[in-house]
Amino acid sequence: MKTFRLTTNAFKGLGKNKMRSFLMMLGIIIGIAMLSVILSITQGANKKIMVRINNFGPNAIMVHSGGGKMRGPSSVSEANLTQQDLHDISSLEGVKIVAPFQLEPGMPIKYQDQFTTTTVVGAMPNWAEAWRRGVSRGEFIQTDDVELLRKVCVIGETVKKELFANSNPIGKELLIGKVKFKIQGILQKRGAGPGGGDFDNLIVIPFSTASRRLMNQPKYIAMMRVIVDDPSHLKSISQQISRTLRSNHHLASDEEDDFRLRSSTQIVKMIKGVSNTLHIFLLLIAGISLVVGGIVIMNIMLISVSERKKEIGIRKAVGARSKDILLQFVLESLAITLTGGILGFIVGIFGVKIMEMISSTPAVISWETLALAFGFSFIVGIVFSVQPARKAARLDPVEALR
Amino acid sequence: MNFIIQAKDITKTYSKNGSITVKALQDVSVDIEKGEFTAIMGASGSGKSTLMNILGCLARPTSGEYFLDGENVNHLSDDDLAKIRNRKIGFVFQQFHLLPRTDALENVELPLLYSDRSDISKLAQQALEIVGLADRIHYQPAELSGGQQQRVAIARALVNNPEIILADEPTGNLDSRAGLEVISVFQRLHAEGKTVILVTHSPEIAEHADRIIRIRDGKITGDERVQSPLNAREELQNFPEETEVTP
Repeated sequence: MKTFRLTTNAFKGLGKNKMRSFLMMLGIIIGIAMLSVILSITQGANKKIMVRINNFGPNAIMVHSGGGKMRGPSSVSEANLTQQDLHDISSLEGVKIVAPFQLEPGMPIKYQDQFTTTTVVGAMPNWAEAWRRGVSRGEFIQTDDVELLRKVCVIGETVKKELFANSNPIGKELLIGKVKFKIQGILQKRGAGPGGGDFDNLIVIPFSTASRRLMNQPKYIAMMRVIVDDPSHLKSISQQISRTLRSNHHLASDEEDDFRLRSSTQIVKMIKGVSNTLHIFLLLIAGISLVVGGIVIMNIMLISVSERKKEIGIRKAVGARSKDILLQFVLESLAITLTGGILGFIVGIFGVKIMEMISSTPAVISWETLALAFGFSFIVGIVFSVQPARKAARLDPVEALR
Repeated sequence: MNFIIQAKDITKTYSKNGSITVKALQDVSVDIEKGEFTAIMGASGSGKSTLMNILGCLARPTSGEYFLDGENVNHLSDDDLAKIRNRKIGFVFQQFHLLPRTDALENVELPLLYSDRSDISKLAQQALEIVGLADRIHYQPAELSGGQQQRVAIARALVNNPEIILADEPTGNLDSRAGLEVISVFQRLHAEGKTVILVTHSPEIAEHADRIIRIRDGKITGDERVQSPLNAREELQNFPEETEVTP
C-alpha cells in the first residue's frame, strides 16, 4: 500500500515539472528508440534467414562439382561426380535420399515467338522428394521418363508466366536449345531459392535426357542433393561425404577438394557474418546513448536533491525513513525511464514502419523487443538513481530544514 | 503524574571546524505533562530550537536522557525515531514548510503516506475541516495566504492524531491577526486534550500557554505557570475586522 502510494506519487511528480521530466527522458527515448529499431531489423533479417534455410532444407547437404570458394550451383561443364560417388554416399548411415541432378544455367528457351533463358535441371524422380517440391498441375518426371530418355519437362512458374501468360501450357511443346520438349507439369511455387535467386525460373527434365541428349555429359554428375534423417547429424555426415569423395577421387592429403559441400549451417554463417557486425555496431551506439541518458538523469537528480533539501527535511520530519526517501527517488527515476522507454519504443515502431515503407527492409516488431526496451529502461532507471537517492536519504532532517 | 515528556540533563554540542565546540544546550531538564500547553520562550540563539528538535526526535542529544511517553528514545534507531515522529509528533514550522506545487489535501496527506493508514484522503479532509479550510482543499500553497498556509501545516501536524504538537515560531511569519487565528487553533486543540509545545520569542504569544519555560544561553532560566492565559478567540472578536489578503 505504502509503496503503491509512493509509486503513484512518483508518476504524478513527472507532471509537476514537465520540461525537466522531458529533458531527463530524452536520452532514454533516443536510446530505446534505436534499440527497438535495431532489434526489429535484426529479427526481420533473422526471419528472412529462416525462410531461406527452410527453402534450402534444414536437413539438406548440397554436393557441388568442382572445388574452390562458395559460389552458385555447378553446371554440367564442371561435373566430376561419379556413379560410384552416388552409390557410396547413398550407402552412408543416416542418409535418407540422394538426388543427383545435372544443371545448366542460362539456356535459351523458345515457344512459338516467345524467348527466354532459364536454368535447366536434369533430375531423377526423387528430386521432388529431396526438394519437398512436386507439381501444382500435371505430373513430375517419372521413372519411365528417365529410363526411356523421354523429352518431357516440368516448368517453373516464372517460365510459365513469361512464355504462356495465363494460358495452360500442359501438353504444349517448347524448345530448349534446339531440342523439343513436351510440358507435362508445372512446379509448385517456391519463391527465393537457397542462394536468394528466383527459384521458380527453371525447367526440370529427366536426368538421362539431360545427360545424353541436351548437355552431353553421359559420365559425370554435376550436383547431388543429400537429405539426412536428423539435422543434428549434418556435420558428421558432411565430413563422411567429404572423406568418401576425397578417397574416390584419389586426392592426396595436400590437394584441395575438387568438390564443395553446402548445408544450411554454412548459409546461415555466410549471411549472418555480414549483418551481425553492423547490428553489433548499432547496438553499441544504442547502448552508449542509454548510458549517456542515464548519466544525464543522474546529474539532474543530483542537482534536484540539493534543490529539494527542504522537501526531504519535511518528509523526514513527518515520519519518512531514510529508505522511504531512497525509494522515492529511485521510483521517480524509474517513472522517468519507464515513461521514456515506452515513448522510445513507440518512436522506434514509427521509425521501423517508415524504414519498411521506403527501403522494404524486413522488420519484425515483437514482444521480446518491448520486453527488452522495458528491461533496459528499468535497469538504467535503477542504476543511475541509486547515487542521488542515497545522497537524499542520508540528509540530516534538521540540516535539511534549515 | 502522567508525564509525556521527561528530558533529563540534556546537553547538545555542535563542533565547528572540528575543534571549537558550541554548547547549544547545557544540562536541560524538562518534564511536560500530558495535555499541557507549554511555551518555550527565549531569544534567538538561546537554544530553544535545538531543544525543540530534540524533543521532536529530529535530533539526538549529545548526552542526557529523553523519555517520550515513558519510552527511552536515546537508543532507538533512525528508523524507529522516524516512526515515533510519524505517530506521536506533529510539527509546525515558522516557514510553514509546505510542498510547493502540491495542493492542500496532498500536503496534509503527507504524514499518512508513511503510515499504515489506508483512508488517507478522508483523514486529510477531516484535518483540513478542523482548521477551517474545508473549502480550500485543492488550493496550492502559492494560492493561499500566510495564515491559511500555516493552518494547512497545522492540519498536516494533526492528521496522524499525534500526542504532541510541536510548533516552532508558528506566528513568526504572520501578521498579528493571522497569528492569533493560529494560536486559537492551538488553544482549541489543547482544550480537546492535546499536548502543545510552542516555541516563541514573543512574550505576548507565550501568554496564551498554561506554562512558560524560559531558556537563555542553552540553560533553563525560568519555569512558571500562567495564572490566566490569554484567549485568542476572544482577542480576535475585539480585533478590528479586516479581510484577509491573499498574496
